Amino acid sequence: MALGLALVVAIGATVIFASRAKQNVHRIHSGNEPILAWMSVPFIAHTHHVAAATLFQAIGVQPREPHDRRSLRHLARDLNRPVPELIAQLQRAIDSAAAAPAQPPGGPPR
Amino acid sequence: MNDQLLAAVSQYGAPALFAIVAVAAVGVPLPITLLLIVAGSLISQGAMNLWWAIGAAGAGSILGDQVGYAVGRWGGTAAIDKLSHLFGKHADLPAMEAKAAAWGGPGIFITRWLLSPLGPWINLASGTARYPWRRFLAWDALGEFTGAALFIFLGRLFSDRVMALTAVLGDLTWAIAGLLVSLVLGYRLLTYLRRQR
Repeated sequence: MALGLALVVAIGATVIFASRAKQNVHRIHSGNEPILAWMSVPFIAHTHHVAAATLFQAIGVQPREPHDRRSLRHLARDLNRPVPELIAQLQRAIDSAAAAPAQPPGGPPR
Repeated sequence: MNDQLLAAVSQYGAPALFAIVAVAAVGVPLPITLLLIVAGSLISQGAMNLWWAIGAAGAGSILGDQVGYAVGRWGGTAAIDKLSHLFGKHADLPAMEAKAAAWGGPGIFITRWLLSPLGPWINLASGTARYPWRRFLAWDALGEFTGAALFIFLGRLFSDRVMALTAVLGDLTWAIAGLLVSLVLGYRLLTYLRRQR
């Protein structure tokens, strides 16, 4: 009896996790990545296909040379601003970049 | 704390990865799959070197695993109890020893990357069961470098989808574990029912 019950629970758990995995596979193809406090600006720029310079500009940060890999939490501490505020500014900049029409190769028309 | 570890890998690269995976391999529950996938993403962004990342992750994990094995083999009951507290549970060592003996080398290999939550337990159990150290090291190294390379390459391939990929892999791991448990339970149930006839 107990063995049968354990088998039903194990099969149920397998089905639940497999269906969740399937849903998350769909997210890989369609969804947007979240912006989290551990991420650096270049990392966010890469996952959202936006230029890092655009995002640095949006939060008013002059990036350190050659690579500024400070996390958002680190930047927030340096700027004395809350992390959610930086995330909101970055999200707006990403949305604006996505809404802007794509520029033709060779730069904008003169 | 996970945020700080991820930020450390993003900022300091391979040395941070080495240190974190070594601590995790001893038994501290840390998001290693996510760290390796993030490392893969950083490689695709040109912020980390592929071979340094695989080397650091593999070597760090092996170091941590050897600590677990050594505690199991030479640490005595008190040390095993202390280490098992790190896992957040009391060690059911006799059961784990039986698993380690039954699974052997392939069990060590598979718990390095596919069923990684069992890894620290198998390290301890291999030590207490006095599984030959050289054989343990060989299977351990094979499994850890396989796991490190696999997750780093996946992170490199899906470099702009790290969180979604981590969620898929986490669910898949539990689905596979559930499937294995179902197969074992199904086999036991069948054996029991045949005996009843």
